[in-house]
Amino acid sequence: MAEVPLRLRDLVLDVRPVPAPFDFCALPGELWMLVGAVNSGRRELIRTIAGLSGPRSGRVELFGRDVARLWPRARAKLRSQLGVVLEQAGLVPAWSVFENLSLLIRYHDLVPAGDIEGYVVDFVESCRLPRTILGRLAGELTPLESDWVGLLRALIVKPKLFLFSAYLPQETLAAGYSARTFFEDVIRPMNMTILVDAGPQALPIEPETRLLVMERGTMLAAGPARELADHSDALVRRHSYVGRA
Amino acid sequence: MKAAVLAWFWHGIEKLGLIATKPASRLLEELDFLAIVLASAGLVGRGQWRFLVRHTLQQIYFTAVQRAYMFTVVGLIIGALMAFPLIVFRIHDPQLLGRIMHIMMYHQLDPILAALFVAGLSGSAITAELGELRANQAIEHLAAMGIDPYGFFVLPRLLGMVLSLLLLTCWLNVGVTVGAAAMLNLYQNIPFAAFLRVCAAGLTRASLLLTAGMVVAQAIHIILVQTMHAFRVRAYVDVPRALPGAFAQSFIGCLVVGLLFSLIRYG
Repeated sequence: MAEVPLRLRDLVLDVRPVPAPFDFCALPGELWMLVGAVNSGRRELIRTIAGLSGPRSGRVELFGRDVARLWPRARAKLRSQLGVVLEQAGLVPAWSVFENLSLLIRYHDLVPAGDIEGYVVDFVESCRLPRTILGRLAGELTPLESDWVGLLRALIVKPKLFLFSAYLPQETLAAGYSARTFFEDVIRPMNMTILVDAGPQALPIEPETRLLVMERGTMLAAGPARELADHSDALVRRHSYVGRA
Repeated sequence: MKAAVLAWFWHGIEKLGLIATKPASRLLEELDFLAIVLASAGLVGRGQWRFLVRHTLQQIYFTAVQRAYMFTVVGLIIGALMAFPLIVFRIHDPQLLGRIMHIMMYHQLDPILAALFVAGLSGSAITAELGELRANQAIEHLAAMGIDPYGFFVLPRLLGMVLSLLLLTCWLNVGVTVGAAAMLNLYQNIPFAAFLRVCAAGLTRASLLLTAGMVVAQAIHIILVQTMHAFRVRAYVDVPRALPGAFAQSFIGCLVVGLLFSLIRYG
């Protein structure tokens, strides 16, 4: 049986006022969209799972292991299976795009040293980005290009759990790819567990889309939009409106 | 009214207490940060050593190699400047001149000047660079994906800075000695070789070790203060605000370190 990539137990996010605890579980290959109002705790939830903020109480389990109980080296190894995209691209401006993309691969020894260049070039070309971008300095990229490269840096490690908490660029950079088609054609086939907090209108909500509805720092409901559309809470029903986007 | 005065009084006492304990709390904060950075050395895995070595060498290149020319010029000028009072006071005794060089320059001024330059040039560059990486969330991204920010960003800079400051202090000492020797030779006809010999004669192992210890402590202090300020950055606007504070705190700390080591040496 495949290990559960993400499980939250009695989690209380570190926000004010103190929210109610909640449990949540994301299985392999599932895509979850975080929905909720501004300051509903979506951003804090992603940051807590990513280990950038500590929870007030409760447990975050990644791949069946309680992150807080691990030794730092084991925790780092566990986190090497994560792909994270936050609000800003987070590239090292003084490095080339190639150095930025290859950093995690080298650091975690994911590919033999001699094959790294070919691996990065192949990956960039498979995402329909021009390979000429690899030689450019990250600090010289446009904001749109930086967003794309930041996204690729998280994906290039082939993560098992992908956390996306950013504005999804709607403009097309790669030939023929809008953000949505890139999501469907490149990210979804990688068959990883995905948590997306991309704000309203980022991705279309279909009946089978799994939604995690947040409000005041806690989870109101979680499940397919089809089921949540009949939820007793009006707020959940409002956020589960199928076809939105 | 009485309660308000009393509250104001206790508030004042609290403020005074905070001011009095500020240096101690800053020292504790710095030691805590140092412990985290040193602990991160233990987390460096098989594939990560090459990053540590590469970034340490880069730091040495940016701090020591690129600044060697400037330190040569500064050393020669300071050497010439410090020779003028000796010329004015007509001090001819090479032994006494050698003692003065040791006590004034090698033990006190040169390490302080080297630390001042390094804190101002490389230290500020480190604060700006890491501050930018904090502001654009690069450090958060990498930490979330399993890269220890202390081991990856701070430790190589710490090692590079320690080695660079040792090298630069030695280099500055050489420059100062040559500058002073040239001026004393020109104005007082003190033979160049004789002056260099008395300067070298005073370099005992204990004295060298003490100076090296002081320089290492100063380098560690500079890096800790600069990176701590950088790690506190939340947005781009915080970067220029962090720079003067980091520089002032690191330089004052270097003066205190110099004072403590002088007390050990002469006290």
